[in-house]
Amino acid sequence: MSSNKIVLTSSDGESFEVEEVVARKLQIVGHMIEDDCVINEIPLQNVTGDILSMVIEYCKTHVDEEESEEAQTKLKTWDKEFMKKFDLKTHLKIILAANYLNVKGLLDLVSQTIADNIKDYTPEKIREVFGVENDYTEEEEAEVRKENAWAFDEADTPKP
Amino acid sequence: MESIIESEISQPDYTSCLPDECLALVFQFLNSGNRKRCALVCRRWMIVEGQNRYRLSLHARSDLITSIPSLFSRFDSVTKLSLKCDRRSVSIGDEALVKISLRCRNLKRLKLRACRELTDVGMAGFAENCKDLKIFSCGSCDFGAKGVKAVLDHCSNLEELSIKRLRGFTDIAPELIGPGVAASSLKSICLKELYNGQCFGPVIVGAKNLRSLKLFRCSGDWDLLLQEMAVKDHGVVEIHLERMQVSDVALTAISNCSSLEILHLVKTPECTNFGLAAIAEKCKLLRKLHIDGWKANLIGDEGLVAVARFCSQLQELVLVGVNPTTLSLGMLAAKCLNLERLALCGCDTFGDPELSCIAAKCPALRKLCIKNCPISDVGIENLANGCPGLTKVKIKKCKGVLGGCADWLRTVRPMLLVNADTVEPEHQEEASNDAVGGLQENGIEFPQLTSQIMAPSIASSSRSRSGYFKSGIGLFSGMSLVACTSRQRRASR
Repeated sequence: MSSNKIVLTSSDGESFEVEEVVARKLQIVGHMIEDDCVINEIPLQNVTGDILSMVIEYCKTHVDEEESEEAQTKLKTWDKEFMKKFDLKTHLKIILAANYLNVKGLLDLVSQTIADNIKDYTPEKIREVFGVENDYTEEEEAEVRKENAWAFDEADTPKP
Repeated sequence: MESIIESEISQPDYTSCLPDECLALVFQFLNSGNRKRCALVCRRWMIVEGQNRYRLSLHARSDLITSIPSLFSRFDSVTKLSLKCDRRSVSIGDEALVKISLRCRNLKRLKLRACRELTDVGMAGFAENCKDLKIFSCGSCDFGAKGVKAVLDHCSNLEELSIKRLRGFTDIAPELIGPGVAASSLKSICLKELYNGQCFGPVIVGAKNLRSLKLFRCSGDWDLLLQEMAVKDHGVVEIHLERMQVSDVALTAISNCSSLEILHLVKTPECTNFGLAAIAEKCKLLRKLHIDGWKANLIGDEGLVAVARFCSQLQELVLVGVNPTTLSLGMLAAKCLNLERLALCGCDTFGDPELSCIAAKCPALRKLCIKNCPISDVGIENLANGCPGLTKVKIKKCKGVLGGCADWLRTVRPMLLVNADTVEPEHQEEASNDAVGGLQENGIEFPQLTSQIMAPSIASSSRSRSGYFKSGIGLFSGMSLVACTSRQRRASR
């Protein structure tokens, strides 16, 4: 069963032939397979080929989830290096793809990466890197600041 | 205006296509300070951040009350709430707490620190509104046992109860508090620095699924109460007793708790080898054992031999101010084949022969921590030739270990993480502080700083921990004569 090949097609018509075990890492595909076993070509409307190839690369690397401490450390290092290859714009495309394709591990990884990149930025800097417009009025912004002052800045990031 | 439009054209909002749930996921990996900054980015970020904030920690000053409506509209999903006041401010009162409770009906966890204006009445109001509470922790508040009782009487899902320094417990004959509706759900109880803490006796005895009991510096004789609890044997797995007036009577009773896996006996000067042996003999599942013998020599080889004989599951052993010899250490090494983590601190008998014994006989050992023990380079050399599975070793404040020894160990055992500090006399004070931190980050759950130099006294008689701490350091710095590593020499320049 595991040697079964499945073809994934991106929104811009690129096709990728992958092992079923890899394709199943995309939960959206996993569910399709469970619903109808004969599927061997799956069109993925919301993902372009360049992003889909990254997702597949991630899934291939994570296909054997070994439990040993050593294997885990190795994977973590790979994850970090993998993420380093891309810029913020690509990270955002990956998060969209991982959300749509439902790849939990990748979704967490890329969210963590984006969070790490913007942590300790000022609001102005965050607006700049994401191109977000400040739609607050001065009074509203002052109000949010006032509310913020009530909440402690805890040093540690809560474990999600 | 023009420049804004221009920048919009050249830099479209990357996040506009991002669904709220993805944005929320990114926020999930940020701490409170960063989340606050994100909320200032734009309205959408503020709303998404607020709706997805489950854990909130607020300054509990009295004037918080006017901001409660706006704060809890913004953060409308909070399930874990901390309310902390500083010493100089007047804290929130009953009205504010009840208001908050009405806004957070799904609260699972509440932590109160120094909310001194709260009374039993406010706690009762809160408990009525937040019946789903699972974890309740309060410290340095002034309400009394009735306030805690309200929580126990309303929150039938309560799993963890932690009470630290409540000053409202001044009655000479306080009312006894039972487990209320939480009798089946309560899994963990922690009492710290309480007068009349024994009024919670019926909670401890009556919690039918209690797994963890931690008692620190609570006044009074606790033997009887622990006996009552142990007789029921509800399956407690973890017991910590620190600076408590408990004796072998309690330990012998606790030996009835056959599912006990973790035991901490820290500065309990009435506990002896007899009590430890009783526990060892009957609690065969014991995995973690921490003993701070306070240099009283009432727990030593004899008790540890019993542990070796009966507790083959032992994985972690921490000995502070205890004096084991090769007799017990050899047996522990031979019989406890799962012993992975070993820490010795201020053990006057732990010299080179003892270390060599561990090195030769402890194949499973992965982490070893030695602090303030009379070992020398000879012992370290023997360690280097033994313990094949060792991954981390920490050597602190051992006067006999010379500066170059750690580097040598790193060279001969490249896979071993060596953390060693040998200390110049004038830097001894700082270094002993470092050593405490070092021990705690070791992965071994360490008790508090060991003030081993002190003579034991009755557990509850002293409340001045910091006084003990300082005098301990003072004595350490008196004992100089330590070689220095090049690293420290550099630092001192």
